[in-house]
Amino acid sequence: MANLKVNICGVELKNPVVAASGTFGFGKEFDEIYDIGVLGGISTKGLTLEPRLGNPTPRIAEGHGVILNAVGLQNPGVDAFLKDDLDFLKSKHIAVIANVAGKTLDDYAGICEKLDGKVDMIELNISCPNVKCGGMAFGIKPESVYEVTKVSKSALKKTPLMVKLSPNVESIAANAAAAQKGGADAISLINTLTGMVVDIERRRPLIANNTGGVSGAGVKPIAVRMVWEACNAVDIPVMGMGGITSAEDALEFIIAGAAAVQVGTANFTDTLAMPKIIDGMNAWLDSHGIADVNQLRGTLRLNG
Amino acid sequence: MKEVTVRILENKPIAAGIYKMTFALPEKVGGISCGKFVNISVGDGAHLLRRPIAVCEHCESSVTICYQLKGEGTRLMSGKKAGDTLSCVLPLGNGFSLRGEDKRVALVGGGVGVFPMYSVLKEYEGTGKEFFSYIGFRNKAAVCYAEEFAALSEKAEIVTDDGSFGKKENAVGAFFEDLANAKPDVILSCGPTPMLRALKAGLAERGINIPCYVSLEERMGCGIGACLVCVCKKSGKTENARVCKDGPVFEIGEVEL
Ligand SMILES: Cc1cc2nc3c(=O)[nH]c(=O)nc-3n(C[C@H](O)[C@H](O)[C@H](O)COP(=O)(O)OP(=O)(O)OC[C@H]3O[C@@H](n4cnc5c(N)ncnc54)[C@H](O)[C@@H]3O)c2cc1C
Ligand SMILES: Cc1cc2nc3c(=O)[nH]c(=O)nc-3n(C[C@H](O)[C@H](O)[C@H](O)COP(=O)(O)O)c2cc1C
Ligand code: FES
Repeated sequence: MANLKVNICGVELKNPVVAASGTFGFGKEFDEIYDIGVLGGISTKGLTLEPRLGNPTPRIAEGHGVILNAVGLQNPGVDAFLKDDLDFLKSKHIAVIANVAGKTLDDYAGICEKLDGKVDMIELNISCPNVKCGGMAFGIKPESVYEVTKVSKSALKKTPLMVKLSPNVESIAANAAAAQKGGADAISLINTLTGMVVDIERRRPLIANNTGGVSGAGVKPIAVRMVWEACNAVDIPVMGMGGITSAEDALEFIIAGAAAVQVGTANFTDTLAMPKIIDGMNAWLDSHGIADVNQLRGTLRLNG
Repeated sequence: MKEVTVRILENKPIAAGIYKMTFALPEKVGGISCGKFVNISVGDGAHLLRRPIAVCEHCESSVTICYQLKGEGTRLMSGKKAGDTLSCVLPLGNGFSLRGEDKRVALVGGGVGVFPMYSVLKEYEGTGKEFFSYIGFRNKAAVCYAEEFAALSEKAEIVTDDGSFGKKENAVGAFFEDLANAKPDVILSCGPTPMLRALKAGLAERGINIPCYVSLEERMGCGIGACLVCVCKKSGKTENARVCKDGPVFEIGEVEL
């Protein structure tokens, strides 16, 4: 048995496999299928200050090896999460990462204040439209990545801050560096890529929201490249995700520099995906005589 | 609910574009009942979403589903042979259930919605309840399970949109025409949303207050209640319900159609 424990900015994970935000709710449903206590952690559904109903349906569509979603941040609000869901997650002894979103800088500060000291880590979803900037997402320009990180960080006295980068940007390295400069303790990536699927008979997009976020196996090469670029741009730990389906996929991210990984869409295809990835990681490390998963991190050897 | 690998026992066409598949369960799976569904992985690595299909018949060791060929997923399923395996999450959702006082039961099913209706008949076979089934298909070529409905119902009326089999009528129309005869204590229904809307409107117009339960369809992500992809609006509330976990069966007044 290799050591799978990793430490991300002071938070110990029993293994580097974390459930990705929005695909795992608050853990209760998957726990009916297997004990989610085996996971390294869970990133919750994106939380906002007030409850949100989200987008009209259909909210999901499929492409070859990918899916698109536009759930639109439906969630019960941060207060309901603290009251109804946090205790259950804590009882599982896994790292609880609260994924949070807002429409304004004040929203981000407010929600961080409410969660400070209560969860193990905050993950800032900055792919949301900033109402003050004509709806352009906070996560697009390095300046606004810096700003939203700084405002959130200053609202947090105890809980470490991880900033989740959007891939729909000019330079992932510049945005990673901006998050670090703003005070992020870690970064995670990638969030979904923006896409569209058209029903040619009705000549309409399949998703009610017209566009949706692309995720799943097919995005993995893009995600690995971006994680590698981000790792080269910062000193803080990076959680990698995007299309991870197997232990081998997860190890690609770790070799490219990620300290841990998150798994999203694969939970839909295979409800047991994460426990299988953890077991597979162990088996791979054993068969390669590697005693500690941390030894693999960032060991990428570039060609030429 | 569980994720299991099932072995196909039989997979064959039973009407135009409709397949019937029976698969063996590898272990005892509790809680399978009428109106619940199974979520099937087509397992080719390209189609990442499972396909939700209603339970049509079931016993301790096997489950039968009937599915219409629609897109790539159901086409891939139709290519499976006896002996092949599939990954399946089951049983999912809240199904139909009848109370002791529900003696006379109306079943109103259209299109692929007829299969969950048949699951009710099978489950309550021999319990002394009287079933009045109103079952609609597009045309004669699509008709299936006609004899099975007739065998287990007090009255079974099979109708088609074009009149090529039975009356030229839809299931909801056939139900309302026969309402005075059926005098149901409860109405169960499954079919396309416009059909369910017509049922709701018809009941409201006539001021009928008979309890009525409908099964909804919505595109799904996880199928187990975690991702909030499959929601519908709750009537008169600023709240959503998850079709996969809180449904697919709802009291007709509980949700917006
Ligand atoms: C609870 C429930 C029970 C169902 N029971 C049956 C049944 O017993 N028999 C039957 O023939 N069909 C049933 N359906 C519909 C069935 O799920 C779809 O026809 C099927 O998923 C189509 O897959 P496809 O790959 O062939 O089509 P595509 O159009 O290629 O599918 C693309 C994506 O959209 C989804 N999708 C497409 N149509 C529907 C739909 N109507 N409802 C939900 N998701 C859809 C697919 O699952 C897939 O994720 C049921 C749906 C639900 C929600
Ligand atoms: C249905 C769905 C809902 C999601 N909701 C959120 C969310 O609320 N907040 C967030 O930061 N990311 C959200 N994501 C993005 C995922 O957390 C993840 O970044 C992305 O799906 C890539 O990983 P994957 O390919 O393993 O799914 C969502 C993804 C999906 C598929
Ligand atoms: S499909 Fe995920 S909540 Fe219903």
